Amino acid sequence: MLERAEPRVGNKIAAPPREVTLWFTQKLEPAFSNVTVTNATGERIDTGKARVSGNQISVSLRPGGTGTYRVNWRVLSVDTHTTNGNFTFQVGQ
Amino acid sequence: MNWFGAEIDGPMVVARAVHFAATATTAGALMFRAVVAEPALRSDGKTGVVVDRRIRDLAWAGLAVALVSGVGWLLLQTSAMSGQTCGEVVVSGALITVLNETQFGLVTEIRFVLALALAICLAYDRLLLPRWLALGAALCLVAAIAWTGHAASTPHKLGYLHLTADALHLYAAAAWTGGLMSLPLLLKAVRHDRAAARTELDAVRRFSLLGMTGVATLVLTGIINAWILVGSFRGLIATDYGWILLLKIALFCAMVGFAAVNRFWLTPRLALPGNALRNLTRNTKAEIALALLVFAVVGVLGTLHPAAHLVK
Repeated sequence: MLERAEPRVGNKIAAPPREVTLWFTQKLEPAFSNVTVTNATGERIDTGKARVSGNQISVSLRPGGTGTYRVNWRVLSVDTHTTNGNFTFQVGQ
Repeated sequence: MNWFGAEIDGPMVVARAVHFAATATTAGALMFRAVVAEPALRSDGKTGVVVDRRIRDLAWAGLAVALVSGVGWLLLQTSAMSGQTCGEVVVSGALITVLNETQFGLVTEIRFVLALALAICLAYDRLLLPRWLALGAALCLVAAIAWTGHAASTPHKLGYLHLTADALHLYAAAAWTGGLMSLPLLLKAVRHDRAAARTELDAVRRFSLLGMTGVATLVLTGIINAWILVGSFRGLIATDYGWILLLKIALFCAMVGFAAVNRFWLTPRLALPGNALRNLTRNTKAEIALALLVFAVVGVLGTLHPAAHLVK
């Protein structure tokens, strides 16, 4: 289950973030876990494969402008549960 | 399939339940042989050989079922992880990915090698070293199951405690299961022996000690696991996971009830004329049936999200 994220779920931040990090209640399997991020115009702005470290998964972002960003995640925990979900956060004025 | 409102994957649960029961039977039979049968039958050459062979056959049967159900579990798990069917995963490379890149896959590979080593040792069972190696391989085969379950994904230092408690929990379950399956074999063989009464009593007493240690271990490690995976009384009664865990605990209490009757009422009366042995054997069969139900429940529990992650 998703525990917390950075940028925070539903939050508003001033500048476009360089990466998005999600923390889960359980350790993750890199082979079957991924995160994608789209910006206000619907473009994919995540670059490269998501990096997993224990119960944490991060993905780097290229600049995406202002507006509502959407984070989509699909992860497999080490004890073989798959969960997915999404959330948004705001960038800019 | 929808039970108690929870989405339950039938084939996966069956594969897991059968695999756990079979692994526990094999390891438990070898534990019983080392701790109960061999010491009790030391002075009883001919009967000792008969019992030894029967226990080894039981271990073989358990291992065969464990291997087949283990392969089934691997295929079903890969199918669930990749979203493909069991047939597709073999050709698509998803099976290779799971085996090489996930902890579940790696642990399954290790357990498969342990199962093969156990098979070789059982084939050379007349020699002393293979007997000890067989016991060692079987114990590792059981403990490794902990790395396929919820304990394996508990993060940080708590994960080590969880894995330790879970491995001990598995040992105790195996000792009890294997013992329940093996004790009737021993009692039946001994009954044909003229010096039966003392050997019988010795074996049953040793098994009781093994059983009581097992029960104490199950309770203690069960509490630790429940504290980590459920975490609150509310988690216990407000989630599917909690209710199914309560069912497991109820089945466990019923098993302990039968075991207590066996230990404190029937065992002291074994040497006397009467139905004590018949009742003991009947109660043991009831315990075995309950144990199989517990494995079925455990088959379900591992596929559900732990209550602690759903309830704050």
